[in-house]
Amino acid sequence: MNAAGLAPVLLLMGLAPLVQGLVHRTRALITGRRGIPLLQLYRDLWKLARKGTVVSRTSSGLFAALPSAVLAAAIGAALLAPLGPGGSVLRFPGDFVAFAGLLALSRYALVLAGFESGSSFEGMGASREVTIATFAEPALFLCLAALALVTGGRDMSSLFGSPMARAPLLAPALILVAGSLFVLLLAETGQVPVDDPTTHLELTMIHEVIVLDLGGPDLGCVLYAASLKLTLLAALIAAVLVPPGPMHLPWMVAGVAAIAVVVGVVAGFSARIRLDRLPQFLTAAVVLASLALALTLR
Amino acid sequence: MTWFLLGMAALAIAAVVRLVVPWRAGRPASLALVLAGCAAAGGTALRVLAGGPGVEWSFPTTLPGGPWLLRLDPLAAWFVVPIVIVGACGALFGSGTFARERRSGRVATTEAMMPILLGAMALVVTAQAVVPFLIAWETMAIAGLLLILHEGERVEVRRSALVYLVATHAATLALVAMFALWGSQSPDLTFPSLQASLRARPEWCLLVLPLGLLGFGIKAGMIPLHSWLPGAHSSAPSHVSAVLSGVMIKTGIYGLLRITLMAERVPVWWGWLLLCSGLLSGVLGVLWALAQHDLKRLLAYHSVENIGIILIGMGAGALGTASGQPLLAVLGYGGALLHTLNHALFKSLLFLGSGAVVHATGTREIDSLGGLARRMPWTWATFLIASVAIVGLPPLNGFVSEWTIAQALLAGSEGPASLRVLAISLAGLGLIGALALACFTKVDGVIFLGQPRSESARAAQEAGRGQRVPLVLVSALCLGIGLAPGVALAPALRVVASTAAVSSPPPAGALEPILAGALSVTGLGVALLSIIGLLVLVRRLLLARGRITIDSTWACGYPAVTSRMQYTAASFAAPLLGMFGAASGIVIERRARTVHTRPVDLVLDRAARPLWDRLQHAAGRLRWMQSGRLHWYLLYVLATLAILLGYLAAGGIR
Repeated sequence: MNAAGLAPVLLLMGLAPLVQGLVHRTRALITGRRGIPLLQLYRDLWKLARKGTVVSRTSSGLFAALPSAVLAAAIGAALLAPLGPGGSVLRFPGDFVAFAGLLALSRYALVLAGFESGSSFEGMGASREVTIATFAEPALFLCLAALALVTGGRDMSSLFGSPMARAPLLAPALILVAGSLFVLLLAETGQVPVDDPTTHLELTMIHEVIVLDLGGPDLGCVLYAASLKLTLLAALIAAVLVPPGPMHLPWMVAGVAAIAVVVGVVAGFSARIRLDRLPQFLTAAVVLASLALALTLR
Repeated sequence: MTWFLLGMAALAIAAVVRLVVPWRAGRPASLALVLAGCAAAGGTALRVLAGGPGVEWSFPTTLPGGPWLLRLDPLAAWFVVPIVIVGACGALFGSGTFARERRSGRVATTEAMMPILLGAMALVVTAQAVVPFLIAWETMAIAGLLLILHEGERVEVRRSALVYLVATHAATLALVAMFALWGSQSPDLTFPSLQASLRARPEWCLLVLPLGLLGFGIKAGMIPLHSWLPGAHSSAPSHVSAVLSGVMIKTGIYGLLRITLMAERVPVWWGWLLLCSGLLSGVLGVLWALAQHDLKRLLAYHSVENIGIILIGMGAGALGTASGQPLLAVLGYGGALLHTLNHALFKSLLFLGSGAVVHATGTREIDSLGGLARRMPWTWATFLIASVAIVGLPPLNGFVSEWTIAQALLAGSEGPASLRVLAISLAGLGLIGALALACFTKVDGVIFLGQPRSESARAAQEAGRGQRVPLVLVSALCLGIGLAPGVALAPALRVVASTAAVSSPPPAGALEPILAGALSVTGLGVALLSIIGLLVLVRRLLLARGRITIDSTWACGYPAVTSRMQYTAASFAAPLLGMFGAASGIVIERRARTVHTRPVDLVLDRAARPLWDRLQHAAGRLRWMQSGRLHWYLLYVLATLAILLGYLAAGGIR
């Protein structure tokens, strides 16, 4: 265990709502609106923490633990992500399997929380969520495999420990990996063009509709977990691209901010993809990662 | 060995007692004997796994084929452990289920066949000579058949049993052919002589291994040889399905491992063949599981998927042996062994849980259930643990073996360039995991959450104590291995190291980080559970003093909501299955007012059955030979004799 790695984790956990705000603000500016304040999610979370909640009559005793599990799994993933210069808090060979597993566990708990209400809206959203994940998961593993072959590492800290500097000749492969991870980020965190967080029609929602019947601290947990996942994936993309050095943490924060802005720009300039066309878009992540892997197999 | 043989004897006596002694005394006595037998055999196996000496027993016989050797080596012991654990829990659960069906003769047969099946499986993995192996193999198959036929009055059960019978005998036929060819090269039919003969002439691998893959592959249920499995495993009573799916198909895996390890240096193509069959079984198995509407058929297809994952590990291990990469061999085989144990635990837990559900509601149709979490909290909690485990998520045992296999796939990149390709199979593991998640969120969400979709689901009662005890026991094992993986990982790696899979030990210090990693997995699991606990506590503090309102779910203001308006399992899976097109094995039937989806088995319904029909049609053309008159048949006998004599006269047999 690397206790020194805890500080950057706590820092990024603190900044996560701001990252989400940055995405919203960029999108708003591009589409010609003023947009919500950068710190709005902090206020929302504070408000939700103080509110009561309405629980569906159909839900079981497990319901109380599900939003907590969504967030706890995301925090567990943060413990495995190499955010600081010294690597991740928990580091062991093959920890990337646990990282992917924790993101999946978070999704599992979210989908079950949706099913608890017994509403068709949530069932629909859950179905879309797992469908999208089916494309995202192989792409994620291909990216990890490509990074493992580039760096020769076996854990997240060496996989994402400045691969650019270790294998400058394989830079094209790494850029492809970053591209694949970016598509993954859009899918996993429900950004335009995969999903529209600001849409108002339940029938077209994916992530938002699963949390339709959550309220109060439960909703707060899930919203915060979503922003944390966004921050983590952005940090991983940044780690693939940023140069190493003593300035690691500032670089990392700047990289996360830059990626949040890019996500906002993409959202501002593109429309949502039709649901039945989504697989074609998500296949892009798989194709990019496969190309990266093919380059590293030489 | 004495204790092991005593355990086998106890199982045999248990069967006799159950059949002979009347109900009131016979039942508990028989159950106690089964548990004692399992404990004796399991204790011996655990001692061998802990590093005790491998024990051997030899019966001299006058039959051809040499002495009957039995040996409990580490590999056999590794398979005996899940057999006795799942067997004992299955027997306990079964006696809880049958407690109300008094004095039925059929129950007696089923309960008597259970210990026979367990004993036969334990002997299959300990037999070290062809003759006792095949006897145990056939006993296992027949005991399995009688157990599947428990509800033999239903026509679909009889049909599945017939398919099972054909498949298991096709497997035996392939094995007999394999051993006959193999034995022609060796002085007798004990495994040590067979091993020596294969090592002397490695080119025989080309004949022996494919026949073994056919025979053992049918038993293991790998695609495309799996067609018997979903029907057979869903027709049996649930605690029997737990044993069949949890451990009986593993005897196929055991056989493949045994013959692979008997060849000193397996050919490279064998490794790739196992790996590719594993990927095929894994992906198609879980996809076809997603398409099922019947809970037990769905679980049975998941066994096909998990056999695929085990084969991926074995393939990686065989490639490691073939190309002289000891780390790859140890991790690949170790992961495969570990997944064998883990799958035995969580799959039997799932089948026992489905048994509780079927017992409580009388239906296996996922779309007629719902809302069982509130009615059956124990069953729900244990079923959820098993579901998270089978998807391979931390902090449960399924994650541990997938973690090991994933590391094996990357360990290949340290070897020759051709092995770097192994890393691509990681995507296969990812896809299998994501599809399994889709499938088990569907099962959990539709069966246990929401509102009941039928009267029988509304009236469901929690499982009795006799059923809850085994459920809790197996869940504790799943959680235990998930939280302390070293307990299972270290012995699994030791078992591999004790075999011929690794000619030289892995480079110094290569395994230590992985075993230390197991400790980190413990840390991660504990951290995860404590964060969840902490957050739940915070939630309780925030929502204190009646700040939780309980009300019905918002339905856009529509007042007349019924439970039929909930999302169904079929609609949940539809978008995902649609993307796989015809490969998903779903047939959509559109009528004027309804749309139905019906899963078909692409191999059985689209290939095997049409082929059989055509064969039968062709055979019909020979019907004129069956005139029904005796003198014609006598003539046939005479003609056959004449042909055989002519063959002998021409020197057909040397």
